[in-house]
Amino acid sequence: MRTITIDPITRLEGHGKISIFLDEHGDVENAYLQIPELRGFEKFSEGRRAEDMPQITSRICGVCPVAHHIAAAKALDAAFHVDPPAAAKKLRELLYCGYIIYDHILHFYFLGGPDFIVGPEAPAAKRNILGVIEKAGIDVAKDVIKHRAYGQKITAILGGKATHPVCGLPGGVSKGLVKDEVKEIKDMVASCNTFAKFTLNLFDDIVLKNKEYVDLIRSDPYTLKTYNMGLVDKHNKVNFYDGMIRVSDQEANEVEKFEGKDYTKHIAEKVEEWSYMKFPYLKSIGWHGLQDGKKSGIYRVGPLGRLNAAEGMATPQAEKEYKRMFDTLGGKPVNSTLAFHWARLIELLYATERAKELIEDSEITSSHIRNPVGNPGAGIGVVEAARGTLIHDYKLDKNGLVEKANLIVATTNNAGAITMSVRDAAKGVIKKGNVNDGLLNKVEMAFRAYDPCFGCATHTLPGGMPLTVNIYDHKKNLSKTISRI
Amino acid sequence: MKTIVLGVGNPILQDDGVGIHVINELREHLKDSRVILDIAYTGGMNLLDMIRGFDKVILVDAVKQEGSKTGEVKRFSLTEAPAVHSCNPHDVSLSEALLLAKQLGEEHLPQEIVVIGIVVKNTLDFGEQLSKEVASAVPTAVNLVLTELKNA
Repeated sequence: MRTITIDPITRLEGHGKISIFLDEHGDVENAYLQIPELRGFEKFSEGRRAEDMPQITSRICGVCPVAHHIAAAKALDAAFHVDPPAAAKKLRELLYCGYIIYDHILHFYFLGGPDFIVGPEAPAAKRNILGVIEKAGIDVAKDVIKHRAYGQKITAILGGKATHPVCGLPGGVSKGLVKDEVKEIKDMVASCNTFAKFTLNLFDDIVLKNKEYVDLIRSDPYTLKTYNMGLVDKHNKVNFYDGMIRVSDQEANEVEKFEGKDYTKHIAEKVEEWSYMKFPYLKSIGWHGLQDGKKSGIYRVGPLGRLNAAEGMATPQAEKEYKRMFDTLGGKPVNSTLAFHWARLIELLYATERAKELIEDSEITSSHIRNPVGNPGAGIGVVEAARGTLIHDYKLDKNGLVEKANLIVATTNNAGAITMSVRDAAKGVIKKGNVNDGLLNKVEMAFRAYDPCFGCATHTLPGGMPLTVNIYDHKKNLSKTISRI
Repeated sequence: MKTIVLGVGNPILQDDGVGIHVINELREHLKDSRVILDIAYTGGMNLLDMIRGFDKVILVDAVKQEGSKTGEVKRFSLTEAPAVHSCNPHDVSLSEALLLAKQLGEEHLPQEIVVIGIVVKNTLDFGEQLSKEVASAVPTAVNLVLTELKNA
């Protein structure tokens, strides 16, 4: 058996590693994605003051500080038995919209989008934001930078600090909005809305009008028929900040709907010996290995998971785009992994519309932004991080110190699906030992679609992020190494 | 000349946060109020936002390098170290961000970016303490930054 190892993963700059095992004919026998887990968070949290958790957890990951911050604040609301005032919830949700705006823009133009805008067969050196500029023009690039910065600015105004917010407290937020800030946010949100629509048009022109790309999106190696999961509001529409967790099946029927606090009744985690990752699955269906279909409890979260799990979007423009996506790709649910990119842009549009509703709400400048807390207990907070469902679960002692903390992050929720997508993509493109740069990129495209988030700590200097492929012969001797920068 | 010294890293992943420890130490030693000291828990595009408008940037960061000893302190120019704190799977490296900014004709980009890298070992376990070797490298890194500032 030969082994191909892709390590580290280009553009996903944690230390993820893909190992592809070939059989004697050079075809893919199996493929695994290995991600080193950060260790010891539970122990690290023990004995800390509960109100420090929104700050501490926002440091876990440089990618999703806002998501962790807000999930922690919500878990603390529950743990201290307090319901924040309506204005505080709206401020948190507005902060959250800013985060979704910058995060989704960054992913589409910098990380996932280059595969389409520049092309999956283009050389690796071109498949980045600079290649995007070349193709889409410098004015588009300037708009990308501007609107990503707007999203950041919105979170900075509401969060009190750029990138790592400090506003969330049990029972509400520490900072309200003043009139001038409202005006500033209104203008930025309006501009972001126009840019979201522009981006969807760009996706239309470059991707949907290109038969080759549409065929790729719909092709078998990029299709996975799992369950889908996401937070929904009381009308079953997608919601990032609050609601019930809804799970739908391969025919888009609702199979489960539950409060975040009941997650352990519905979700279990499987540990596989070859990986540090835990693989969550639906308890009611059970674990049946890394396979899709109705009999396997594996589900997907993130943009496509959310859109599949819900019955629509709560804002008019996004709702229209939602319907168009499902009409175009053959109805609900859409199981094409690469459609995550499209779903992400529909969510970007939704975030701008929702932000507009919130900033125009007269209550948003209310000074009643915090309610007094009760006695400490246990609490669970759930939000939709840009890349999927995020769960914070705390148990506090009588002095308000953390006794136990458990987190399930979005990429963990997607672990089973990402692994299968990598395997299927590898099977589709690597035949008879034929491996080249373009082929490997198609494997990477499979997991890039999920926008996964790895342990955020590892550095390698010097050098960019080289892609190294090790090929072993059937005796597991290294027979060939392919590298690229 | 406007100069910023920026400690980059994650303060709750042990050695990863060494850049931040160096900045905290520098606050005791540095009397020049024209030099800005700051910390960043982030990379790529966010880092670019923080260094815009400065002429010289000194980044203090944890590095891993094959064949290097834990606790070694090294000076790189950014071109030799294009992946500075690119820990972030959802972002670009600082070099890529800078390249982008240049391509877009941005002004006010730093003329010089120097990296003071401390070779680290433990960055996968949560904790606020540095490993012994890395902790003892902090004074060396502080001195290197001070020398760098003197030469500026």
